[in-house]
Amino acid sequence: MDLAQVLNGLRDPMGVPFYPWLFQVLMVLTFALHIIFVNLAIGGSFMAVYEHYKKGENNKRLSRFLARSSTVNLSAAVVLGVAPLLFVQVVYDPFWYVSNLLSAWWAVGFLCFVTAAFLALYAFYLKRNPESGMQGFGFFGWFTFGLLLLAGFTMHLLSVQFLEPEKWKLWYLSGTVMNTSGTTIYDFRISRYLHFIIPSFAITGVFMMLYGWFFSTRKDMDRDYLHWVAVSGAKMALWATLVQIIIGFWWLFDLPKNLSFTSNIFLWIGVILGVIFFLILMAAQKAPEKYAVISALFAFLAVLGMSVSREVLRMVYLGKFNYSIYTYKLNIHWGSTALFLLTFVMGIVVMAYPLMVAWKLGRYGSTTEEGA
Amino acid sequence: MLYPLFEWHGVGNGMLMAIIATYHILPCHLATGAFWITYFMERKAYQENDLAMLEFVKKYSLLVLIFCFVTGSLTGAGIWYAATLISPRAISGLIHNYVWGWATEWVFFLIEIVTIYTYYYTFGKISRKAHLRIGLIYAMSAWLSMVIITGILGFMLTPGKWSETGLFFDGFFNPSYWPQLFVRTAFMFVVGGSYAAIVASFLKDPEVKSKAMKVAAKWGLGGLIVGGLFTVWYFTKIPATAKTIIFEDLAFTQTMFKVAIGAGVLLFIYFGVWGFMKSKTAGPIPAIIAMLILFVGICAGETVREMARRPYLIPGYMYSNQMIAKDMKPKGVKSEVAKFNKEGVLKNYYFAPDSVKEIDASNFMAAGRILTKLECISCHTVESNGFFSIPKLMVKFGAKTPEEVYDFLDALDDYNYMPPFVGTEKEKRAMAAYIASLVNPDQKADPAWVLGN
Repeated sequence: MDLAQVLNGLRDPMGVPFYPWLFQVLMVLTFALHIIFVNLAIGGSFMAVYEHYKKGENNKRLSRFLARSSTVNLSAAVVLGVAPLLFVQVVYDPFWYVSNLLSAWWAVGFLCFVTAAFLALYAFYLKRNPESGMQGFGFFGWFTFGLLLLAGFTMHLLSVQFLEPEKWKLWYLSGTVMNTSGTTIYDFRISRYLHFIIPSFAITGVFMMLYGWFFSTRKDMDRDYLHWVAVSGAKMALWATLVQIIIGFWWLFDLPKNLSFTSNIFLWIGVILGVIFFLILMAAQKAPEKYAVISALFAFLAVLGMSVSREVLRMVYLGKFNYSIYTYKLNIHWGSTALFLLTFVMGIVVMAYPLMVAWKLGRYGSTTEEGA
Repeated sequence: MLYPLFEWHGVGNGMLMAIIATYHILPCHLATGAFWITYFMERKAYQENDLAMLEFVKKYSLLVLIFCFVTGSLTGAGIWYAATLISPRAISGLIHNYVWGWATEWVFFLIEIVTIYTYYYTFGKISRKAHLRIGLIYAMSAWLSMVIITGILGFMLTPGKWSETGLFFDGFFNPSYWPQLFVRTAFMFVVGGSYAAIVASFLKDPEVKSKAMKVAAKWGLGGLIVGGLFTVWYFTKIPATAKTIIFEDLAFTQTMFKVAIGAGVLLFIYFGVWGFMKSKTAGPIPAIIAMLILFVGICAGETVREMARRPYLIPGYMYSNQMIAKDMKPKGVKSEVAKFNKEGVLKNYYFAPDSVKEIDASNFMAAGRILTKLECISCHTVESNGFFSIPKLMVKFGAKTPEEVYDFLDALDDYNYMPPFVGTEKEKRAMAAYIASLVNPDQKADPAWVLGN
């Protein structure tokens, strides 16, 4: 059986309810948003623990803020992760399913790692008490960070095995015995993994810059503290981006040579966006609050650029097996497509209200005296 | 084309889904029900300027937040993972029909997460009106996520006109959609009330405790009564074969049904006694026991609903073992049964070793093993200690020799809840030989019989 035939045969025979490009666009966009919050949760939980163990009052305060915001960011990462998880199953079902089945317990483990990380993060946030010097719960912070790294590694291995259909059958069979245990890890690539993890510190650095900028209008907040956070964030973001650029090249040289990805335009757009982000961060070192919003914008664009090139790379990889999502059988249904798109627009409008309330409260403090 | 297999050795794949999915039902119904309760409690507390009650509402919403947005959202995604590992083709089929339904539900998840965090972190810091409004947006969007997912859940038992048209809304607004939506809507208040009772039971002040317990009990009792009535309506809408499976064919589902009813009665007693008679002294232990009873009841109820889907995963289209049972003309899909019966399952299974694709005297046991796993392990185990163990069931049904197992396989679809054996005559015999060896490892089938010589 020809592999291209097998891959197409594994697709769902009922086809997709809209043109595959829309699922692809939504998948890349939601993945970019998802990974930003993953980065914030990883970088934020690390910094929260790191600052927790430092002596200064500012460090403790920053630790408290980062611990609290990490709980929200991790929730956002989980919910935003649902969308790319859904869309990947629509257009890349054979690859995603086989990779999961081969390392099934790791896929289940992923859920356990994130759940445990979440609970540990809440324990860290709610139970430690820096004022009274009870630092015992600091351990839970490290635990969170470690589990999130492990969860990231799991997603990483599932995404790498995804790209190697030519090896699936060799992995699965030994003689006439099928390895149905689901405990084995078949492949991973450290350079690629680090390329997803290192940005955590750049994105969290930008988040700290935004924090310094956002609360700068508040009269009841300590200016020196806020400035210190913004400066520390800008510095961390700069160094992390530098490391990320080096790792990016490592990962690039680590790719199979026959893909000729180095001549791909999308890759270089991603690289250029990354370099612009780096240059902005260099300029931001002296006045990080002033550059916070523009840094955040370019951080987003750089992540989006990388997500696009990741998808293009995936298409190049699978193109070797004559797999293209654009040839997926169509069974178009306009009604349900419209249901989603309209709900999506409505959702953005509805979400604007609580976000606006939270924004106003954050920037200008309590808006009422009747609060209980 | 069939996927590689995963096996939870000695336990059974179904258990993976049972653990994740039944657990998910608690936080997901709490997420949808709890905020109607907090909305009314908060509003009342403002009217009466009851600060202690507001403190209770705040505490309750933090616990809802942690419980639902940690374990609820992860186990929700976990259902996809479990389905992927047990029946990838079925989840793929559902997703390819209902991707926009799930994407729509996801929009409500986004609204939920934005509103619940804003709600909690702005408590007492913004105007009361704005705060109540945010709570209400949360409650509505959470319930709307249920409105969406119930369409997909109902479809899995009663696909309605979808079987002829293949259209999204024909499957979505299926015969059991409305009763199921009302049942879930009522029971979400039971979960919300039960959770509120736990939080209230930890309160120190007897007056506040009594007040909170009464509110929790009213929602809980109301949900139980209304939900019970809608359940009766629901049962009038499910197919006759499903009812036969539940109430006649399987002792297991009959027991589960009784457990679900029993749990409802016990909860009724709990809310009545501790919610009204002992509301001032209600402690955490009975509240936690009530929650456990609720959990057992939900597990039992959902198990009944799941078992009623047999022998299908997608009714009238895909069998429990992921083989496509019948043509799906509107979507241009052909049944696999006739093709596999003619050409053989193994020849059409890419992930089978090439050496077993042609069955002979040297490989029939290996072929039988692979076929058994392909056709049975989404529900059964090959080990004797697992759930729905094949060797144990064979002993129970008196099929111990290869010939007896063969006859059993031949008549498999005489059982309402079992899909037929799919494959060639040789494949059926190879499978019978392997299964007989599970019952008695010393039993060797005669190769001549297997090969039909």
